[in-house]
Amino acid sequence: MSHSASATSLSQPTRRRLKNPVLRGVLPYVVCIGGFLLLWQALSLILGTGRLPGPINVITDTWDPYINQPFFDNGGTSKGLGWQILISLQRVALGYGLAAVVGIAIGGLLGLNRFIGKGFDPVIQVLRTVPPLAWFPISLMVFQNANTSAIFVIFITAIWPIIINTAVGIREIPEDYTNVSRVLRLRKSEYISNIVIPATVPYVFTGLRIAVGLAWLAIVAAEMLKADGGIGYFIWDAYNAGGDSSSSQIILAIIYVGLVGLALDRLVAWTGSKVAQGGH
Amino acid sequence: MGRFLTIDDVTKVFPLKDGGHYIALKDIDLEIKEGEFVSLIGHSGCGKSTLLNLLAGLTQASSGGILIDGREVKEPGPDRMVVFQNYSLLPWQTVRQNVALAVNSVMASSPVAERKQIIDRSIKMVGLSHAADKVPAELSGGMKQRVAIARALSIRPRLLLLDEPFGALDALTRGNLQQQLMQICQEAGVTTVMVTHDVDEALLLSDRVVMMTNGPEAEIGQILNVPFARPRQRLEVIEHPDYYHLRGELIGFLHQQRRLRQHRSSVAAAAGVVAASGVVAATGIDGRQGDANALPPARKQGPRRPETIRLGFLPGLDIAPLAVALDQSLFDGAAIEVVPVPFARWDRLEAKLLEADLQVAITSATSPLALNLGLGGRTPWPAITPMTVSRNGNALCMARSLLAQGVRRRADLRQWLLNRGQPLTLAVPELGSMAELLLRHWLAAGGIDPDRQVRFTALSPMTMGGGLRTQQIDGFIAGRYRVAEAVEDRQGYVLATDLDIWSGHPEKVLTCSERWAEDHPGALDALGAGLMKAAERCDDGGQRPELIRILSQNQWLGRRAEIALQRQFDYGNDEKPQALLQFNRYHFDRAHIPNRAEGAWILSQFSRWGWCPFPSNRLELLGQVYRPDLCDRALAAAGYPSLRPDRHPFRLADDLPFDQDNPLDYLKALPGAPEPPVAPIPLPSLSARALLSR
Repeated sequence: MSHSASATSLSQPTRRRLKNPVLRGVLPYVVCIGGFLLLWQALSLILGTGRLPGPINVITDTWDPYINQPFFDNGGTSKGLGWQILISLQRVALGYGLAAVVGIAIGGLLGLNRFIGKGFDPVIQVLRTVPPLAWFPISLMVFQNANTSAIFVIFITAIWPIIINTAVGIREIPEDYTNVSRVLRLRKSEYISNIVIPATVPYVFTGLRIAVGLAWLAIVAAEMLKADGGIGYFIWDAYNAGGDSSSSQIILAIIYVGLVGLALDRLVAWTGSKVAQGGH
Repeated sequence: MGRFLTIDDVTKVFPLKDGGHYIALKDIDLEIKEGEFVSLIGHSGCGKSTLLNLLAGLTQASSGGILIDGREVKEPGPDRMVVFQNYSLLPWQTVRQNVALAVNSVMASSPVAERKQIIDRSIKMVGLSHAADKVPAELSGGMKQRVAIARALSIRPRLLLLDEPFGALDALTRGNLQQQLMQICQEAGVTTVMVTHDVDEALLLSDRVVMMTNGPEAEIGQILNVPFARPRQRLEVIEHPDYYHLRGELIGFLHQQRRLRQHRSSVAAAAGVVAASGVVAATGIDGRQGDANALPPARKQGPRRPETIRLGFLPGLDIAPLAVALDQSLFDGAAIEVVPVPFARWDRLEAKLLEADLQVAITSATSPLALNLGLGGRTPWPAITPMTVSRNGNALCMARSLLAQGVRRRADLRQWLLNRGQPLTLAVPELGSMAELLLRHWLAAGGIDPDRQVRFTALSPMTMGGGLRTQQIDGFIAGRYRVAEAVEDRQGYVLATDLDIWSGHPEKVLTCSERWAEDHPGALDALGAGLMKAAERCDDGGQRPELIRILSQNQWLGRRAEIALQRQFDYGNDEKPQALLQFNRYHFDRAHIPNRAEGAWILSQFSRWGWCPFPSNRLELLGQVYRPDLCDRALAAAGYPSLRPDRHPFRLADDLPFDQDNPLDYLKALPGAPEPPVAPIPLPSLSARALLSR
């Protein structure tokens, strides 16, 4: 009797968990996110919806037009959130694309040539720690144009991890591979195309992934300071407008910024895994 | 099939981060014939892979050089393809692309179609056509290694270098691949050098197995010829009658190296110093490191009194370097004070050495080994020899009555003995000494049985002349000084000198306990350095008057020293005296080396005369007793370049080559020698050593 009883009590929880694998999968999210929303709603009740709208307020306040019409365009800077994000993404694409091209080139040079790599290392180490917005005033002074300056800020923020990772990737090419090229006496061009590039790709994509996060970080900040359009501008504009639904608009925009940042990160990671396929 | 690859005196030193350096390989000499398959075997850290990288040209030798077809290897090249331990395939390329990279870059001038054909053939050769378009990640370890071999052979290298090619594979795969590799190498006729630590693999694949000693300062310990006919089949090889003998040699070598390493580290630990035989600090050798009862590190630096070394010797021409060094103050007075202690009998000297009343002695070249083996019923004692003090200098002196009976040559002696019917009585300075071994060897080579036709008796060298006079003995073998006295006194005449037996043999060596050497490195170095500097003066003919003056002092040879140092050697047989060049040698022609090959000869003679079985662990014994590393330290302290022994077989006067890698064959070839028993010899243990050296 006691034996069978203890057996059931041991197997019971296992059986219960196995019964509902789908529920088991989503349960942590439901519990934690639900808890977070509840906490948020409670805070909002304590502080008053004027100071901090709760999740329900955010949705009801911004449903029309920001959620249901992402691509409305009333002319000027009054555009749907979809447009605003696209404007920001366009700037990021330009600045980040430029940073990738220039960064990989410079990183490659620094990695292949020990003299230059060593000489420039201190410069890179100092400049990479400069916060993105510190570049903004000087780029405004140089370019005299808010849009170009924002792109430059993206560029200068994103370039350092790309340079550093590319250079490290080249320096860290396993000796086995360089030995193969030495024994076969590969020409420099063959060496670069057959060994350096494939061996460095994973490192480069690590750099690109860090860089895209930084770029997205920088664009929102730069647009808040000085820009026409873009998601950062939208946030700052909503704050300045000071309307009833401003807080809700800002919160919605923040959620969109986060989602887009995540998507960018995953996109680069996925591309990297596709490009480096077969390697490592 | 001349020599294809020559490794000439290669030493490889790696700098260390702390400014010192690590000597990985020392004085490697090896010649490899075209088409030969050579394996390098040894414990990890013995520098096998370092040597392979040097052959590949991936690293450069610190000194010495590597020649392939007479051209020096300075950089890697496709004529020397390497198969690395971890395959080194490019993971982002398919099998075909990996092979193609090699073919396309090395054979760029060939037409595309031909290159494609070579690529396909190479992949087919290792049986991977079906996997040609897979990337390495999709292949098993054995398949990857086959790709690496295909890549290496596709460009038809002259030399294939394999670095533990099958180390990471399971036994079944390994067996198949070994068979394949053997076939491929044979078909391609490519010269191959393989690093391995698998004894069976080495025997199956190789024509020769090169066994490396432990690092640091790894060197070639022994070379084994593998005589199995080709093509070989695994089972045929294993069933070959010589297989287990050869396998035993290899395993025995590896065991001995392991024990030697353990032994060295336990001695060093007991002495409280780091065994720094290979790692010499950048500051060089500190000549002032020893202390009477070693060694709290804090005390090493401070000023100290010079260490007293009581050095035992028997007066004779052999100790000339000691006399000169003391007379001309060639010992570093700040480090050591050498007290020479003369003896009249060898057994007394050895007893005092074992009692630690003497720290060091100049003994017969056979003594260090005889002491370790405990010959003559003694307790085995851990002697070492850090340098050879003198070479040659013995002569066989017979009573003049034999000259009257026409005994002028060895053949005469043999005939005379046959007629006489009773054994010859010959005196030796010490039973089992170098002099006795030489005499026995010479007699046996002349058809005289030393055990049945001769009675050996030990006499103090000082009384040998007297023994002739009283007809107690028929003759004696001793140093030149004693012989010259007997000739001068018209008691005896010279029937043979050791130039007739083994020119250049080691005669006297420095002997001390292993523990004392470990505890007093500075003192030993200073002693050796002083003797070496003096030895150079002794070899200098221009210094002869000075040498006579010094040796004529009473504590050495006394007023008759001059007769032993005449330029002409008087045989006392009424023939014209001859000049004997190099009769006594102290310094030149690498005289100082404690040479393990010579030690192996001594061991062979010990067992030849039935004094002990031939030690199956001879390399361990020789490695422990003969210490060229200490010799090198003393040479450095004296400002001489380091010396190294010749690995080639040497010949005594009977012209039979003695190959240190194969002493048993030598023994079998000697006249009348039955095959001696072979047995492992237990070496004196550390506890006994610690007790005795205190």
